[in-house]
Amino acid sequence: MPKLTIDGMEVTVEPGTSILQAAEKLGIEIPRFCYHDKLSVPANCRMCLVEVEKSPKPVASCAMPCGDDMKVFTQSAIAKKARKGVMEMLLINHPLDCPICDQGGECDLQDQAVSFGFDRSRYHEEKRAVKDKEMGPLVKTVMTRCIHCTRCVRFGEEIAGVDELGVLGRGEHLEIGNYVTQAMTSELSGNLIDVCPVGALTSKPYAFTARPWELHKTESVDVLDAVGSNIRIDCRGAEVLRILPRLHEDINEEWISDKTRFAVDGLKNQRLDRPYVRKNGKLQPATWPEAFDAIAAQLKNRKIGAIVGDLADCESIIALKDLMRALGAANLECRQDTAQIDPAQPAGYLFNTTIAGIEKADAILLVGTNPRVEAALINARIRKTWLAKRIKIGVIGPQMDLNYPTKYLGAGPETLEELLNGKGAFADVLSKAQNPMIILGAGALRRADGLSIQVLARKVAEKYNMVKEGWNGYNMLHSQAARVGALSLGFVAGNAETWQKVNALYLLGADELPLEKMEVNTFVIYQGHHGDRGATRADVILPGAAYTEKNATYVNTEGRPQHARQAIFPPGEAREDWKIIRSLSEVLGKTLPYDTLAQVRQRLVQENGLFNEIDAVRSAKWVPFGKEGKCDKAPFVLPINNFYMTDPISRASRVMAECTKVFVMKADQERAVARG
Amino acid sequence: MADLFTTYVVPVLWIALKIMMIVVPLLMGMAYLTYAERKILAAMQMRQGPMVVGMYGLLQPFADAVKLLGKETIIPTGANKFVFVMAPMLTFVLSLVAWAVIPVSDGFVIANINVGVLYLFAISSMGVYGILMAGWASNSHYAFLGGLRAAAQMVSYEVSMGLVLVTVLLTTGSLNLSQIVTAEHPWWVSLLLFPMFVIFVISALAETNRSPFDLPEGESELVGGFNVEYSSMTFALFFLGEYMNMILMSGMTSILFLGGWLPPFGIAALGFIPGPIWFALKVCFVLFIFIWARGTMPRYRYDQLMRLGWKVFLPFTLAWVVLMAGALLYNNALPGM
Amino acid sequence: MSFAKSVRSFFLVELVRGMALTFSYMFRPRVTLNYPFEKGPLSPRFRGELALRRYPSGEERCIACKLCEAVCPAQAITIEAEPRADGSRRTTRFDIDMTKCIYCGLCQESCPVDSIVLGPNFEYGTETHAELLYNKQKLLDNGDRWEAQIAANISADVKYR
Repeated sequence: MPKLTIDGMEVTVEPGTSILQAAEKLGIEIPRFCYHDKLSVPANCRMCLVEVEKSPKPVASCAMPCGDDMKVFTQSAIAKKARKGVMEMLLINHPLDCPICDQGGECDLQDQAVSFGFDRSRYHEEKRAVKDKEMGPLVKTVMTRCIHCTRCVRFGEEIAGVDELGVLGRGEHLEIGNYVTQAMTSELSGNLIDVCPVGALTSKPYAFTARPWELHKTESVDVLDAVGSNIRIDCRGAEVLRILPRLHEDINEEWISDKTRFAVDGLKNQRLDRPYVRKNGKLQPATWPEAFDAIAAQLKNRKIGAIVGDLADCESIIALKDLMRALGAANLECRQDTAQIDPAQPAGYLFNTTIAGIEKADAILLVGTNPRVEAALINARIRKTWLAKRIKIGVIGPQMDLNYPTKYLGAGPETLEELLNGKGAFADVLSKAQNPMIILGAGALRRADGLSIQVLARKVAEKYNMVKEGWNGYNMLHSQAARVGALSLGFVAGNAETWQKVNALYLLGADELPLEKMEVNTFVIYQGHHGDRGATRADVILPGAAYTEKNATYVNTEGRPQHARQAIFPPGEAREDWKIIRSLSEVLGKTLPYDTLAQVRQRLVQENGLFNEIDAVRSAKWVPFGKEGKCDKAPFVLPINNFYMTDPISRASRVMAECTKVFVMKADQERAVARG
Repeated sequence: MADLFTTYVVPVLWIALKIMMIVVPLLMGMAYLTYAERKILAAMQMRQGPMVVGMYGLLQPFADAVKLLGKETIIPTGANKFVFVMAPMLTFVLSLVAWAVIPVSDGFVIANINVGVLYLFAISSMGVYGILMAGWASNSHYAFLGGLRAAAQMVSYEVSMGLVLVTVLLTTGSLNLSQIVTAEHPWWVSLLLFPMFVIFVISALAETNRSPFDLPEGESELVGGFNVEYSSMTFALFFLGEYMNMILMSGMTSILFLGGWLPPFGIAALGFIPGPIWFALKVCFVLFIFIWARGTMPRYRYDQLMRLGWKVFLPFTLAWVVLMAGALLYNNALPGM
Repeated sequence: MSFAKSVRSFFLVELVRGMALTFSYMFRPRVTLNYPFEKGPLSPRFRGELALRRYPSGEERCIACKLCEAVCPAQAITIEAEPRADGSRRTTRFDIDMTKCIYCGLCQESCPVDSIVLGPNFEYGTETHAELLYNKQKLLDNGDRWEAQIAANISADVKYR
């Protein structure tokens, strides 16, 4: 353990820690551009130069490991002069276009030029100009501003796993570029914007919209997949302008997927901002009391069912459950995709390993899932683990393009059976692995024999010692933010098909159902925030709040409850969802016993203890789950074809539509051409 | 029939004509008095004064008149409407009625009565009623305070004014204003009358509520004093009345002390200029003094005003009456003796 | 009261002296201007009505950097921006509440392209409040109207910056 002195303060660090990290530990800020916590260290910007005793020259602190009895000076004359010199060199070719640069106000170069640079330039020659690169509908490039820190190149290589960015040329002619002019084919490409310390890579949809100081910032969580990425919602007035990631080492580190980041414009389109009631076959605008009265009049003597959609928050789920219980409704459902899940055993439907736990795994088996589109950040974690340890990853299901090498094992349940019988090369890999993992996706669940496949998977897990003291390698990967919350609140009764047999249906943001299969006379209440499929069929529409507009609890695929916070108010007459259900309960004469958010949350805790600890994961008890049975031989089919459009918000987003056009449809075309 | 014509119609027409000959120049004079006041004050304060309406702002009085006519007369809810409307009328009418006895030139007077001085004194004293009525009828604190002040002030100064008049009457022996003008007296009498002239002018300032005795209006403490609730024509009547009173007081001053329509200091060489011109010039001179005083002095405090009236002017004029009477009697210069 | 003082008081000496003073002032030259027809000189730094300037080519100078909006102590400026069809950064909304403006000139100071300026015009009183809520078009029109003078003022002041 080296013990060194930085600016007169002693610190003891792990061997291999760089001076920069040691200084950070002490709270000393060393300026840097190329160094990034989550990326490799190239030491090419030279901004982090510090003086080290007995060293003839200043030392790049990001790349210099700490040594015993080192004496480091970060504020000495030499260090300051070195930084000023570096800053002056960096600014030689950097245009002074801060006023028209979107990074202005949150720019590392700007901040550090003020803190560590000269106040004027001695450079009077012509500055160079670099041609902008085309990087698709999400990332805007102004390459003249680039200072060649290569963070974007390293991000592409290491995190996103796409070798599309690189450095071309040398010296004055050095440029960052994509070899072939094309959009970056990664679902994490938006993070390039955060990674870039200057304004060379900025957000295209957000271009020129606002300055950081105008924005009101709210810390929240994302609901567009089941990862529960921590986000910061930046809004101005009554408008969400952008979403940025928030550091959470156990979930998303500091990345978010492009859907999370860029689907925000969907929050402005196709919103339900007032109640509607269907009269004479047409939806007519109505007031809240009218809508409630219409429901009260229609619900009498009907067999009621309720379905929770993919974006519902736990507060509204519990309120709806209580209301439905009070009305005597038996058909409650949260699995719109007909996934077969045993709600009684959390171990059977949680991501037991936890996302951070993936890093400890040394062999992974993916069954009927494409984590790249279902949970891009879990995929990033798998890639990170692969990058660090070159672990073996096996795939059962359709062939797919993952950004790490995999071993394709087979397409359907029989491959799993073979594995259970110890056949094949991957069986060896699993049996030799210390911490093997299996990840079951929706592709393996949304079929009639889903529960039997789970039994199969459980047996595989048990055979290869995946579940043991301190390690649970059995995982189910969900892609719907509401799913685990609804399962843990027991919003499941009957089976996934029973909703077709009721004649009154309460849809809490449920838009993924094949509603055309429903009886014509069924009375449908749709509560939600977007005019999507559910609202089209509804007889009464109750406008609810999107995830940026309510204080709500969501449980991610690990079983980690987190609070989303209200950034803006719902549009028009729309209200927070649990309040709508609470008000409706009063009209229906079954008043729910809670009036405040705190009381609803109390009720959540009463229903399931996991809501007691926010942002904590409880390990589930390993008990048998699933239903023994014969498995169909049919291959697994993946549920998500288009990463960019999976829910009402992203379907309403123009940016996501553009992405679909550029990434998905083009890729499909290319595949078709290749096939001839 | 001819009798009727000669005895009634012709004199009435003649009187009406004379009234017109007095009133029209008077109203014009009053209009330009406001202009003159603004211009003179501006000059004393090194300003320009009105310059926009007409050449050098000469049409400003008419612009103001049109503005005042065009405005809405607002009668406060709590006001006594009849008294409220009557007050400015009374003020205005009184200021015009007084001119009946003012001789503009030798023999050019509407009513050449022998109690002209008394008549004038009575009329000018009644002016206080208009202000008192306005102050009371407005049903407003400021107006009421202004009215009270006006009453106290005008009553106080009338006393000394009366005594000043007595000294003049002692030298002339007549209450007829024309005779007062033409009366002759030795040079030392004029010298003795000079202090009375000063006191009369100062009292006239107080009597017409002019600065530095404009306490009834008292913009800085009473907003507008007795006329604070008045607008449009009712205000205009007050305004006209005040300036008409100024002209009246100037006329009285020139008749009592400055020799009316006669050329100044009895210089015969100036006799070719007609009497009304001389009279007008003298009136203008006194009016200039009025404005000049306004441009020079700040407003008196209320107690200072009362002290000046009762403890300085009253004893002084009283003593002066005795002094004058004694001097005249000693020199056997009392008229009619 | 001393005798001398009494005499002075009796003969109204102070009063006469005061009157003489005001009388003498009547003949001094006027210090005021006949305003709507005569106007005093204005400093090139005079801070009057706000205006948005254009380049000689007719292109508006403003690049929507929002520095003026950020610096405005009275928060009188509201800007919204988006990329124009040619990809340049432009405002879609540039509103100034002239009834909030305190004429401090910080916006002009902060403007990197000399777009927003406090021009030489001070005669823009209106009858209604709404007329003083300027939008972008009004501000650009102001700039067009006063450009010659604004440009002269800026060039006169440039050596002191």
